Amino acid sequence: MKIKNVNHADIKINTELTAPGKKIRIVHKETQRHQNIFFGAVAVLFILALFFIEVDYNGILQGFDRLPSVIKELSQISFENFGTLAFGMLTTLTIAFLAVLISLIISFPISFIVAYNVTPNKFIGTIFRYATMLIRSIPTPIWVLIAVASLGFGPMAGIIGLLFPTTSFFVKAFAAQIEEEGSDVIEAIRSVGGTWWHVVIKGLLPVLFTGLIATIGVRFELDVHESVILGIVGAGGIGYLLQSYIQYYQFGDLTLGILMVFVTIFTLELVINLIRLRIGDR
Amino acid sequence: MELKTILEINNLIKRYDDGTLAVNGINTEIKEGEFIVIIGPSGAGKSTFLRCINRLVEPSNGSINFLGQSVDKANNKELRQIRAQIGMIFQHYNLVSRLSVLENVLHGRLGYMNSFKGIFNQYSEVEKLKAIEWLMKLGLEDEVYKRADELSGGQKQRVGVCRALTQNPKLILADEPIASLDPNSSTSVMDAIYKNCKEMGIACLINLHQVEVAKKYATRIIGIKSGQIVFDGSADELNDQMIQFIYEGKEDEMYSSNKPFSGTGQLTTI
Repeated sequence: MKIKNVNHADIKINTELTAPGKKIRIVHKETQRHQNIFFGAVAVLFILALFFIEVDYNGILQGFDRLPSVIKELSQISFENFGTLAFGMLTTLTIAFLAVLISLIISFPISFIVAYNVTPNKFIGTIFRYATMLIRSIPTPIWVLIAVASLGFGPMAGIIGLLFPTTSFFVKAFAAQIEEEGSDVIEAIRSVGGTWWHVVIKGLLPVLFTGLIATIGVRFELDVHESVILGIVGAGGIGYLLQSYIQYYQFGDLTLGILMVFVTIFTLELVINLIRLRIGDR
Repeated sequence: MELKTILEINNLIKRYDDGTLAVNGINTEIKEGEFIVIIGPSGAGKSTFLRCINRLVEPSNGSINFLGQSVDKANNKELRQIRAQIGMIFQHYNLVSRLSVLENVLHGRLGYMNSFKGIFNQYSEVEKLKAIEWLMKLGLEDEVYKRADELSGGQKQRVGVCRALTQNPKLILADEPIASLDPNSSTSVMDAIYKNCKEMGIACLINLHQVEVAKKYATRIIGIKSGQIVFDGSADELNDQMIQFIYEGKEDEMYSSNKPFSGTGQLTTI
């Protein structure tokens, strides 16, 4: 079978098809090459990483042996400290809720100044943009540690610490949504002679509403997760209790605590999803 | 009777930050009642030119005068007043999708209201009645309270036309108003714009890439190529040679999108 007159740069069809015993190629040469290089590099890095970490293979095997007894320990459950744990869980939820609410109040106006297609002042917008970038590059636990160091242990430090990553997240997310989906409406309201407030409140808010709600829901879930963990570094709430139960081998209380966190977060996700579907556009 | 000059443009230039020269020295005048269609291939600068007129895009150089008032030198307040008198119709309709059709049309009055009044929907009953009148006139009486995103493309664009007409403008700018529409909707939208501009004495500047549609409606056709005006005359004066020149290199763009084969290409058989 010969195919004539195909003038394509990287195909030598005649020779490829008629070479004896050779299987016909089907892939695009350069894409395949890029893929191979990529996977090769990942494989090499994987092996190097294993060596760098000095994995203790013996220790892992011994851990597997211990697994049955650990499971047995965790299977005990004690309802003795139910009240304390419930209060802790509520505290954790409140920390996340307050952090998100205050962050919203701060980040909302800032995001309209950062978004380049609606900002009333490009210079200030750029300053805010870089400031939020800086804040976002510092991991959440560090912020909470700074808050704990300045304000002492407890929920207050948790809330203040969480404010920084949450606010900067909202600014980035909201600004991105404004820039991506707001341009048409911004043009429309500007063209009829509307003021900046008209553009934002009568144009952008209705259009971006569902997207904003979705972003808020996602971040709230995340902040609840974070609050649980941050309790361990001193931000109060149920994390602090779990950490002390682990320290003192109070497995019964620990198991109840883990269960409580699981049930709470799972329920929260279901509820937030329901709200999103209801508010959403069909 | 001397016709009033609505728009006067002198040496308009727009150079983008990356160096692209989108508008390269445009001079023209638009008088009351004219229905001008601007033709030209994509990238010729038609959209940029239109947006410079109401400063949605800031011109780099040149002067724009609307009814004797300078647009390029206007401050924020003056610019708002000027924009209130210039209606604009967009290719992608640019409606606020979650709001009702009526709310969208009433946005045309925002140029005449301060921030407070606008935010709290303080439209007068007269304004609301007029808006509904426009919607009825353009065949949208059953759609008045529907959400804007429940409408078809042609209906959405007619809402856009109503929004522009509610401004009581002296000039309407339309940027490819029918590019996203099927042939039937295209006709009803173009008819709506043409008829109402004629009746109200509104001057009109429309970007189209379909030359046949331009010839059908325009009192005057302006051809733009590479950011400059290369033709300015009546539909009769626009001959095939000139059309080929304007669309040089992008010949398939001068036809309506509903033609099965564009340009002069032949199907290649395998």
